[in-house]
Amino acid sequence: MKTIYLCDSSIEGILSGVYTAWASRKGHDNVKLRLKDDGATMELFCQYEEVPVDSQKADKVITAIRNKISEEAYEVVYKAALSNDMERADKIYRLLIYGFRVGAGVVSMLQNQAVYDIFQMCRFVDNETHLLTGFVRFTEMEGDLLVGRIGPKNDVIVLLAPHFADRLSGENWVLYDVNRKKAVLHPAYRHWYLTDFLPSDWEDKIVKTSVEDEYEDLFKRFRKSISIKERTNPICQLNHMPLRYRPYMPEFSQGLRDV
Amino acid sequence: MLIQESLSVQEKLEILSDAAKYDVACTSSGVDRKGKAGTIGNASKAGICHSFSADGRCISLLKILFTNQCIYDCKYCINRSSNDVVRTAFTPEEVCQLTIQFYRRNYIEGLFLSSGVLTSADYTMDLIYQTLKKLREEYHFHGYIHVKAIPGADPLLIEKTGFLADRMSINLELPTAEGLKKLAPGKNRDKILKPMKQIQNGIVTNRFELMEYKKAPAFVPAGQSTQMIVGATPENDYQMMMVAEALYKNYDLKRVFYSAFVPVNQDSSLPALPGGPPLLREHRLYQADWLMRFYGFQAGELLSEDRPNFNVLLDPKCDWALRHLEQFPVEVNRADYFTLLRVPGMGVKSVKRIIAARRSGILDFEALKKMGVVLKRAHYFITCSGRMMYPVKIEEDYISRHLVGEERRSVWDISSSNTYRQLSLFDDTSLSTQVNSGGIVV
Repeated sequence: MKTIYLCDSSIEGILSGVYTAWASRKGHDNVKLRLKDDGATMELFCQYEEVPVDSQKADKVITAIRNKISEEAYEVVYKAALSNDMERADKIYRLLIYGFRVGAGVVSMLQNQAVYDIFQMCRFVDNETHLLTGFVRFTEMEGDLLVGRIGPKNDVIVLLAPHFADRLSGENWVLYDVNRKKAVLHPAYRHWYLTDFLPSDWEDKIVKTSVEDEYEDLFKRFRKSISIKERTNPICQLNHMPLRYRPYMPEFSQGLRDV
Repeated sequence: MLIQESLSVQEKLEILSDAAKYDVACTSSGVDRKGKAGTIGNASKAGICHSFSADGRCISLLKILFTNQCIYDCKYCINRSSNDVVRTAFTPEEVCQLTIQFYRRNYIEGLFLSSGVLTSADYTMDLIYQTLKKLREEYHFHGYIHVKAIPGADPLLIEKTGFLADRMSINLELPTAEGLKKLAPGKNRDKILKPMKQIQNGIVTNRFELMEYKKAPAFVPAGQSTQMIVGATPENDYQMMMVAEALYKNYDLKRVFYSAFVPVNQDSSLPALPGGPPLLREHRLYQADWLMRFYGFQAGELLSEDRPNFNVLLDPKCDWALRHLEQFPVEVNRADYFTLLRVPGMGVKSVKRIIAARRSGILDFEALKKMGVVLKRAHYFITCSGRMMYPVKIEEDYISRHLVGEERRSVWDISSSNTYRQLSLFDDTSLSTQVNSGGIVV
């Protein structure tokens, strides 16, 4: 009978699941990893087992990946764990089976389905991170604070934070993930940190410096006048800047489309 | 010509960004620079787009003119001295404030500063220099700056500006000296090429300095670029490509930009373009430009004196491959990097993935799909373990008939982006599309 291990959706949770499934010695074909909150229907004729988060087990797996496969493979696994793929736990497990067998070359063996699955997830995470480095918008709040809100599909906030910490090192800023209700806080000239213990009314407590930010208005005008009328091409614009990013941008506060 | 002093910043920004929009270069790429304590900003090698305007072009930099007043009377330019438009100018203070405040809110990646020529080339260049100096030293801006060198300005000023900017550019505007003489009477080719050479030499010298002293200030670290207008003068694609190739080879340019001519002025020496700007021709030129920079093609391979214009129905790479069928099919599991790069449907990324993946095993067509190869184009030109994907005749007519079918939709999309038309069964099926001298489908 197949055993399904239900693990937490964090990277630690997934890697604890990997450890437990591997250590059970039931054979790779007889085990499967699933996320606790993936919302999928339960399967018949399976045994379900919940895996608690255990940072020691996760650390052991990480050390093994770094030593026996490669540093790059660890990076790939980390990014895959941030993806929004509901089957990411099992996909990571399948990659690691293959990885421990063939070693460092595993990340470029795209002809293998397990490697390809992970590659696709990483590509999505990387692309979304890159787009968001441009599409994040900060709003100036009272008390010298910049607040940016994002609603990404993947959990990319930890990948975005170093970019902005380097760029705006002298500013107090907050980057808030609306979908996951967590935020990165960056006090000026200090390190950033991630938190998901936010009081539900934190957004109401800070106020915009002025109702109509002068520079928001200037940027709207700039966007309008920089466009060449003879070349108008909404499809091209849509391809480069999908609609789902636009609700968080002040330049689209009046409507999600320019034309 | 009077400069309006009383305008608000909003009005100035509208006028001066509107006047700058025909400059294509809005890239923020070419230099990786970490942030520094006490300053604001960094730069990322790949470049970052922050927004996209309604025409689908990226907004990466705050693209503005310092002033739209100009002593020259270039026929194609909206700011020519004989045009009756509102003239205004920013102050250095205003430019710095705008840049910093936009940058803090993550609206932009940096500043793109160009200018009309006010009083004289030297005077304008000095204004630009003063602005950059203020932005870098007083406002501690550490992000990306792209700046125009004004043709005819003092070499010393250009050098001083180059140490503050990331990228500099001087627009060639028209590919031939005759075209320039006809449409831009105040400029000449020598005035444009001289500062270009100077910047090139500056970059080379600076490279040696940086090798010896790591702390030496960087001179135009992201390289220089230029821009050519497509379709304002009767030059053909072959001439454009030869000029671009010469610029890449002799002047080490990072990029040559092509800008489809938009008739903003009514002038007897300018062509009327009833079908809108030559967007498809611009698209083909960019495709060929990429082939030259990343795929190892020479301009002479893509076009020749006898065939001076690009094929409207096929992209330049497919077109080349069809004329060189004797080199195909290529065996994916054995061919080297440069051979694979020449296969239509394969790009730099997919070829790199193929090379990495085939070390550990033989690749089949299913695997190629995973690498990102566009099989609908590539399968005519490759074999996997000696087999083709489908039984295909290696014959020019046969393959081109199939490829043209694939390409027709995108050609239609580009060449008629502004028109709405009822699709009918018979509209787009005839191969005898008329093509005029500019390479535009009518």
